[in-house]
Amino acid sequence: MEPLTPGHLRVPGKTEPTDLIAQARAGDTQAWGDLYREFAPAIFRFCRRALPSKEDAEDATMEIFMKLREKLGQYDTSRSFTAWLYKVAANHCWDALRRRKARHDKDMEDVDELPLEAPEPNQLERLIEERTSEEVRKALDKLGARARMALVMRYYSDMSYDEIADALGVRRPFVGVVLLRARHELRQALGENSPLAVGGAR
Amino acid sequence: MNGTANQNNNHPDEITLLMYVERQLDRDRAQDVSRHTQTCERCLILLRALDRESRLLTRSMLEEDEPLPARLAEFHAKVKRSMQWIWGVVFATALLGVYLLYAGYIEPWQRQFEQAGFDGTNLLSLFVFQSAFWKGWQSMFSLVEIVAMASFAGFGLFLIRRYLKRGSALAVVFATMGLLMATANPAAASEFRKGESVQIHKDEVINSDLFAMGDQIKINGTVDGDFFGFGQNVEVSGHVTGDIICFCRSLRVDGQVDGNVRDFSNNVTILGTVGRNVTSFADLSTVESAGKIGHTLMTFSNNLIVDGSVGRDFLGFFGNATIDGSIGGEFRAKGRTLSIGSNASIGGKATYEGDKPAEVSSSAKLSSPLQFTKTQHRSQLQRGPGYYIWRIIWAGAWILLGLVLIGLMPRFAVETVEAAERYGAALGLGVLVFFGVGIAAVIACITIVGLLLGISTFFLWIVSLFASYVVAGAVVGRWILGKAEEHWPLIGRMVLGVVIVVVCTGLPYIGGWIRFAVWIWGMGAIAIAVYRRVQPIIAPNIPSMPGGPVGTPLPPTTTVSPA
Repeated sequence: MEPLTPGHLRVPGKTEPTDLIAQARAGDTQAWGDLYREFAPAIFRFCRRALPSKEDAEDATMEIFMKLREKLGQYDTSRSFTAWLYKVAANHCWDALRRRKARHDKDMEDVDELPLEAPEPNQLERLIEERTSEEVRKALDKLGARARMALVMRYYSDMSYDEIADALGVRRPFVGVVLLRARHELRQALGENSPLAVGGAR
Repeated sequence: MNGTANQNNNHPDEITLLMYVERQLDRDRAQDVSRHTQTCERCLILLRALDRESRLLTRSMLEEDEPLPARLAEFHAKVKRSMQWIWGVVFATALLGVYLLYAGYIEPWQRQFEQAGFDGTNLLSLFVFQSAFWKGWQSMFSLVEIVAMASFAGFGLFLIRRYLKRGSALAVVFATMGLLMATANPAAASEFRKGESVQIHKDEVINSDLFAMGDQIKINGTVDGDFFGFGQNVEVSGHVTGDIICFCRSLRVDGQVDGNVRDFSNNVTILGTVGRNVTSFADLSTVESAGKIGHTLMTFSNNLIVDGSVGRDFLGFFGNATIDGSIGGEFRAKGRTLSIGSNASIGGKATYEGDKPAEVSSSAKLSSPLQFTKTQHRSQLQRGPGYYIWRIIWAGAWILLGLVLIGLMPRFAVETVEAAERYGAALGLGVLVFFGVGIAAVIACITIVGLLLGISTFFLWIVSLFASYVVAGAVVGRWILGKAEEHWPLIGRMVLGVVIVVVCTGLPYIGGWIRFAVWIWGMGAIAIAVYRRVQPIIAPNIPSMPGGPVGTPLPPTTTVSPA
């Protein structure tokens, strides 16, 4: 089976299209078009996972690329282009979610104050065994915006804890807590109406 | 870091295990966890479960469950620039359309009206700009103005809100309202009278425009301005120096009116003198023998009697008419029956179109014989070749329009066709747009919101009315040939569909209803597509394709140290 990657990104051994990036930075519209076609599917999927609807994701993708084009001159070529791309995308989606006030109240709660109950290991194993990717994606829709955003940043675009902390505006040590809480929320969503529900008790 | 329990027996808590899986622990703590999991089966199982959970998450995220939408196939800023360019073309085309409309229709009519002696004014002046027809509405309908202005400001804000922060948007709204207020002509001083019975006594003089509302309105005195009447029975036996504009059941003018009379009533009777023109929309219009109209009479009446005199031209559309007075200028009439009595005189050319020839008294004084044209009543089943030629021409026109629209706005065309396939929404919104936009355009025209905006809105409404055939055609084509979003296949389907739609709308009896359905369907689809462009709908989550069960190894983003 071919390895799954976000679009054409992060394929082991595949280098970033530096020539294309350089040409696009120099104002070559053809190169920009190629760059867009190269990365648009990945960014659209990122937005699709992070935002509540397909239409939102489509709009966000267009807006992100417009932003990218404007900011292309500011891109530091010594750093990863894909990382920069995802940083812009994550910031845009998170801003959009905040603007729309799409978050539930629970997202505003202090992550410090709510203790989490550790799952029963065998039960967690069974839950993971039983659930499909599609079910996980559906369950993602039930999560709060911050939990969802954190999971997408971590497991879709493989962003570091520092990058996630920066995008979500939390201190770096809390990123783990945010991710763990997101997983608990996800398990609860996956286990709804099912005896497989594990952990997540608050 | 806290938030977890389970520290009994020195088991690492869940977050520590998670961070170990994610390789976020420092070396010493990672080694502690590694040592612990070599001896603690429970923690090892949890560690593996967390790792499998990470893999499941990664797989779920990365699976390509839906393709890139068509509208994202190319860089959108490019499309946006194109769109801006297209809007420029559309605007230029609109201007051209307005010019052609003016040059092709309004100006010739204007010339005809001028030749017909309509006071040397042009048609636009007659109806809109200079005429008293609209005068006074602004002050009378101040509430309508405010509502309309707020509606349009809201609509404008709705369109641009994505590009404005709240504060600046409010500033724009208030600035616009202020500008409208500042540039609007201040309403002239006016007198308002309201009551069951409103009367201006014989010696009373109103030195301004008069607005009167009531069951019985009598003007026995003088109104030095325009008179606006809204009531059951309106009687003017005094003197009005301006115009009379009346919406009532019955209007009777005994006195003197120096300006025009514009009347919308069940019956109107002119017994006195009207200095300028009379326009009536009534069931019964009568110009008694004592009645005098200085300039022209234009009437749309079921029954018409003209025993008095009309200084210049006559233009009438009626059921039955009797002319026994004098017409100074040209006579143009269309109706069912016309009788010209012995006392009648017509100074100019006389034409009449009706079901049967007019009965003309031999004593009537006509400067030239009355030219009669029989009205053609053709059954829907008796269509001449001209009808079919015109249908073909129209079909060609719609196909051409479709080619242009799809060529200029390929993505928007696809989105519109997809919107049209949401039948309920498209038809529902279509009804709203079909009627609502027309009403909004009229409100814009009659208030200070502006004639230009009203005409522009109306023009866009007309364009979408025409484009609705293209939309309906494209969907019908997709029904037959299957879905396609590429350029030429979509055009092929549109052409086939338009031909079918044109044939269906030309069917006897039901064709009209099909045409109406096509209009509202197409307009609704266009409205949905436009709406989605300016504000995407928060749609319910779309189910994705099923993925496989967990188990297939993936290139891990994280790894677990061997236990």
